[in-house]
Order: sequence, then C-alpha cells, then structure tokens
Amino acid sequence: MAKRKRRKSRRRESRAPSLYVQKVRRADVTLTQNSVEIRDDNWQEAALDWFVPKEPERTMLARYIAEHEDKLGVAWARELLRMEVYFQVGDHEQIIEHYDRAFARYPRCALVEMWVADQVFRLAGDFWRARPMYRYAIAHLPEHPKPYYEMGYMSYVLGDFDGALSWFNQAAERVSDAHGEIAARVFYNRGIVRYFLGGDKETVIADMKEALRYKRDYVQARQTLRGLRGRREVRFVPW
Amino acid sequence: MVDSGPRLEVTTHWFPTKASGERLFAMQLEYSLNGHPEPGHPSFVEMALTSGVAKALDALPSILPKKAVREARRLLQPWPDGRYTDAYQRTGGILNLFTPPWGAREDEVWAEMLAGWKAEAFPDESARQEALRSLEQRWNHAPHPFFAGLTPAQVMAGGGYEEARLANDFLPHLSEMFRGQPFESEGQTLTKTLLLLRGWSCQSREDGRTPLDIIVAERDELLARREQALKGQ
Repeated sequence: MAKRKRRKSRRRESRAPSLYVQKVRRADVTLTQNSVEIRDDNWQEAALDWFVPKEPERTMLARYIAEHEDKLGVAWARELLRMEVYFQVGDHEQIIEHYDRAFARYPRCALVEMWVADQVFRLAGDFWRARPMYRYAIAHLPEHPKPYYEMGYMSYVLGDFDGALSWFNQAAERVSDAHGEIAARVFYNRGIVRYFLGGDKETVIADMKEALRYKRDYVQARQTLRGLRGRREVRFVPW
Repeated sequence: MVDSGPRLEVTTHWFPTKASGERLFAMQLEYSLNGHPEPGHPSFVEMALTSGVAKALDALPSILPKKAVREARRLLQPWPDGRYTDAYQRTGGILNLFTPPWGAREDEVWAEMLAGWKAEAFPDESARQEALRSLEQRWNHAPHPFFAGLTPAQVMAGGGYEEARLANDFLPHLSEMFRGQPFESEGQTLTKTLLLLRGWSCQSREDGRTPLDIIVAERDELLARREQALKGQ
C-alpha cells in the first residue's frame, strides 16, 4: 500500500503542469509585474478597475458584486483578473477553459458571460453554446445593447434575416454615444439585413449614415453608402 | 474513339470546418436522389414513393459505394405523419452546409411551441393530442430560423438540379477566396464563410432572381412533385 502511494506521488511530481495551469501561472506573473495585489480590503476595486474600467459596464459589475458580495471575495477577483489577462492577449481557448473551470463555483455573472459568449461564438464557432449565454445576458442586463446585437449577428450568419432585423432593432433602441463601436455595428448590420430583405434604399442609407455617425472611420459603411448612392447594385461579395 | 461511358471527375474544395466538408457528400446525394441520370425518367425519390424504396435503390448506379447506398436508403424512407424530426439529420443544402450541427436540443422554436402547448388547458385528452398534431404540422411547414429560413419540409425534400448548379458556382468561389488565408480561429473562419454565403445567396442574378429565391422555388416544386407522386401511388 505504502509502495503504491509512493509510486503515485512520484508520478505526480514528474508530470508537467497542464497548459491551462502554465497559463494561469503566467497570468499571475503578469499581474505581479503590474503591481496588482488583491487583498480583503481592495478586491472589489481591483475587479472593477481592471475588468470594467468604463461605464456602463462598471456599474453593471458593481451591481453584481453588491448582490453577491458574501459569495465573492479575493479568490473570485483573482480569477476575474486572470481572465482579463487572457482577454488582453486574445487567448480565446484559455478564456473559455478558465470560465468553465474557475467561475462555475460562483453565481452567474451576466456581464462576464456576455464577454465569454463572444469568444465561444466568434472564435470557437460554438453557436449553440453561445446562444443561451447571450439570452442569459439579455435577461439580466436588459438595457445593454450588446447581447441583442450579438443575437442579431448570429441570426444574420444563420440566414435568418427577419430574426436578425428584429434583434438589431432591439439593439438600436438601446444604443447611446457610450456604446460607440457596438452602436456603429448595430446600424451597419441592420442596414445590410434590410438591404437583403429588399428594404427601401433610403432606410438602408439612413442606417449607414448612423453607423458613420458613431464611427467615422467605418470603412465598410462608407463603401456601402457609396454603392447605395451610385447607380450600380451594391455587392457585398466580390462576384 | 469517343468514350461516352461514365466519367470520374475529381474536384477539391476548401471548407471552414471538418463537419461541413463531411456534409458535402450527403448534400450531393440529396441532389442526386431528386434527379435521374437520364432525362424524362422519374427521380429516385419519386421512384421510391411510387414503387418502393428497394426498387429505387436497385436503380442506383451499381458503382455507388455501400456507404452511399446506406445513406440513400435512409433518405428515401417514407416521411412520418407527425413532426419531421429527420430534418435535423438532413443537410439543408448549400444554405445550411456550414451551419454547425444542431438538433432537437438546440431547437428553440419547437421548445417554445411545445411550452405553449403544455401551458394551454384543453377540454379533454383527445383535444390535447389533436392540438399537438396540429402543432407538429405547423412546425413542419413554418420557415425555421436555424434552417436559413427553409421549412423543415423543404429541408426534407432536399435540393435539386438548380441548387446543385448554384452550389457548384459558390464552392469554387469560396475556395478561391479563402484557401490559404490565415484565420485567427475556426470560429472566425466559419463566420466569414457564412457571411460570404449569405451575401451570395441574396445577390440578384441575370434574371433578377437571387440564389435564395431559386433554391426555395425549386424545393417547393420538389415538394409539389412529391405530393403528385404520392397521389398517383
């Protein structure tokens, strides 16, 4: 028995840490290099400052923290900051794995789920997993345009143009100047879907103009607008 | 001497995912079953409806691999009276070739319909069952958002000659556009492919019709021919 135990522990010692663990360690090094120290008296601020420095997301996360304060704490904040490091380096596989491993023990956070869903949908291509995540975000952050926009975008790529238009309309009702990039995308994609549905040209032009109001250097919107104003048919694909 | 016998043509295509590449074979088989190598003959599907599946399978070229015959047998089976759940296992043609596989578990439309039915009060069990049957028919014939707007019945019908021609137009273009391109991830590859497909499907052709119009019209025609064949049984 003792022999078997010894053999087991030796095997454990020789095994290299998994890639996931290696990346967790690297994230911790990055956090230390950035002088991040998470303590009992600052974990809420650290989470807010690092993960959501801007509004309106900052208020949304603060609301979540206030609601679940007793279940969160230093360990949760550390997981969130590690996640932010993975976001900054664009490691979608690690983001998804970290979300699955580290956040299952905490109350679901719609804001975190919304950002992770993007990785699941756009980078991992797992549409069917991302959908319920966006729906959860919609149910808990009904004022945020992003999950509506993403559902619209998913409907668009799935070829459900009526569904996409309905989602984009709901997103458009929620955008403000604070949502710059997302707002521009909402109007640009709504314009395209309207065009596909054979909508009135003027309405499509209005959407493109609105997209450019939020993002002046939106190349695709500018090109589409030029095409719509010309006599030639707008072509979104090169044939 | 001109050889007029069967020819073997090899084409290679680029696909964003392994699943979509594998689905191509089934899609082409669906197209083939809705036609016949010799003009004027009933399609293999019509043959199965009027003379039985075995007869239709016998008429398939003998060179066909066993796997294809097995798949053809599955596709030629009579449709159920209730919900066409087999649509989940059909390809949905070129419009659905790249859509990540999904089934009953992901079907939000059916889940919502079923939840409504469960919540409704009925005078008796027979009324309850009747309502379920009518719900199933509604699902069968309503455009489904996950089938790129095709109805499950249109998916069951499979594509025909026109759609095969369109697919042969799109796939080489896709390969030309994306083969060898660096993509960040499989998800990004998939999304870009789907965007290209949606743009192509809505682009008017010379006759003013879009590929989407042509595909839907042909599948409707195939459904009508199916009805005719069933009536003439």
